Amino acid sequence: MLSLHDIALGYSGETIADNVSLSLEAGQICAVIGHNGAGKSTLLRTIMGLQPPLAGRIAWTGAKPRTIGYLGRSTEIDCQFPVRIKDVVAMGAWNGLDFWTGIDSAKTRQIDDALARTGLAKIADRPLFECSSGQLQRCFFARAIVQDAPILLLDEPFSAIDQTTQAQLVEIIQQWRAEGRAILIVLHDLSAVMTLSDSCLLLGRHRARFGQTTQIITRQNLLSHDYITEAQASLLSLPESAGECDV
Amino acid sequence: MFDWLAYDFMQRALVASSILSISIAPVGVFLVLRRLSLAGEAMAHAIVPGIVIAFVAFGLSVISMITGGMIAGIVVALATSMLARRTLIREDGSLASLYLIALALGIFILSAAGSAVPLKSFLFGSALGIGDDTLVLIGVIATITLFSFAIMLRPLISATFDPVFFETQSRHLGLVQQWFMFLLVLNLLAAFKSLGTLMAVGLMILPATAARYWVSTITGYLLLTFIFALLSCWAGLILSFYLSNVPTGPAIVLVAGCIFFISLFCAPLGLLRGSIVRK
Repeated sequence: MLSLHDIALGYSGETIADNVSLSLEAGQICAVIGHNGAGKSTLLRTIMGLQPPLAGRIAWTGAKPRTIGYLGRSTEIDCQFPVRIKDVVAMGAWNGLDFWTGIDSAKTRQIDDALARTGLAKIADRPLFECSSGQLQRCFFARAIVQDAPILLLDEPFSAIDQTTQAQLVEIIQQWRAEGRAILIVLHDLSAVMTLSDSCLLLGRHRARFGQTTQIITRQNLLSHDYITEAQASLLSLPESAGECDV
Repeated sequence: MFDWLAYDFMQRALVASSILSISIAPVGVFLVLRRLSLAGEAMAHAIVPGIVIAFVAFGLSVISMITGGMIAGIVVALATSMLARRTLIREDGSLASLYLIALALGIFILSAAGSAVPLKSFLFGSALGIGDDTLVLIGVIATITLFSFAIMLRPLISATFDPVFFETQSRHLGLVQQWFMFLLVLNLLAAFKSLGTLMAVGLMILPATAARYWVSTITGYLLLTFIFALLSCWAGLILSFYLSNVPTGPAIVLVAGCIFFISLFCAPLGLLRGSIVRK
């Protein structure tokens, strides 16, 4: 569905990461990991076309999808805004809607379905500013469900939520994969990376390494990309190294 | 009791302020939601030098002063938006810098050219002295404003609530922000003859902040803000009719202020609510 060939990420004059390559097929989950400032969010912005790559090529199989599902960090969102949960979920259906057109019955069913799948049906009328961070995140997942996009980009979807909510959200991501959607997910929790993703992109120290998750999450790789320190590495049971699998 | 309605100038003021309320309410709502309340105030000052330059160059004509104010407002709005997107300084800092420069420039030009007397009426307006040309102007601006909001309500809500998400859905983030600033300038100009640029900001912001204490949906918010603005205008006009020494602009804004304090103390989302969950 999507492949990146030797992309350089960054803003004008400043390269954050060089030679970033990856390929993502329908029905696959690719995890993106890296230290703070390694270029994870910049990568998502570049794929969405919000900023051009400094070098390299982004190739879509077929045309670039009209809708790209996006789930950002809740710090970017005004949670005091006067909207109810169901209004936010409905925003997933706004793309491509003319200003005089309302949401049709098929979309309304999709919205109700998304509210039910995320366990929000009973509190759909609750104002956003009364929601807990777990409810907020479920609300944004519901909006992403309504977007019905062939590819989804998730930026740290499990930050600041409890284990139960995370388990429910993981289930939704796995349903997306089963439905044949491609998912790119920025994660910090290595155990989530190991259990959830098929492939992994490791960013750090201006470099990138891509491959099967089991081949990327190794002691040697994580250390060489500044993802963990020696002290942390000794606490984790990580394979020493594995064969490289670059695209 | 309704003897004030018999006067021609009161009828004009009533019609003008009612149309103004419809037009100014959605602008005020999104100024508050976009955390640009102070930007509205700044913009009101930013348009004054344009008006002054037009006044010095062409004399007392509504069209030339509107054009001057418009140009000054648009230049400041575009430059602010450009600086906010291209440099480290955000919208508030950029706007403050530019409007201060613009205001100083305006007063400098007016003083260098001669008398400063007309400036006073620009600042406080004269709601009871509204002519046909001003009435038409307010009507035209209200039409443009309502038509614009009909088209861009969804994009504006989305861009205000979650700008990054909006950017992933649409390429028009910059256009939405700039068109909103354009509507702000238009409405300040609509209000400037009747309320003066200083009081216009009061009628823009106070009904919107008061209404925020009552509502949880954007539709309710827009509607209640309009009702509060309308109430302020009518009550303010009547108040200044009976208390002949009280100017209309400040009377209207003081009524809006009373509504704000009543809302603050009585509304479900005001002080009654205790501590709002902050995230």
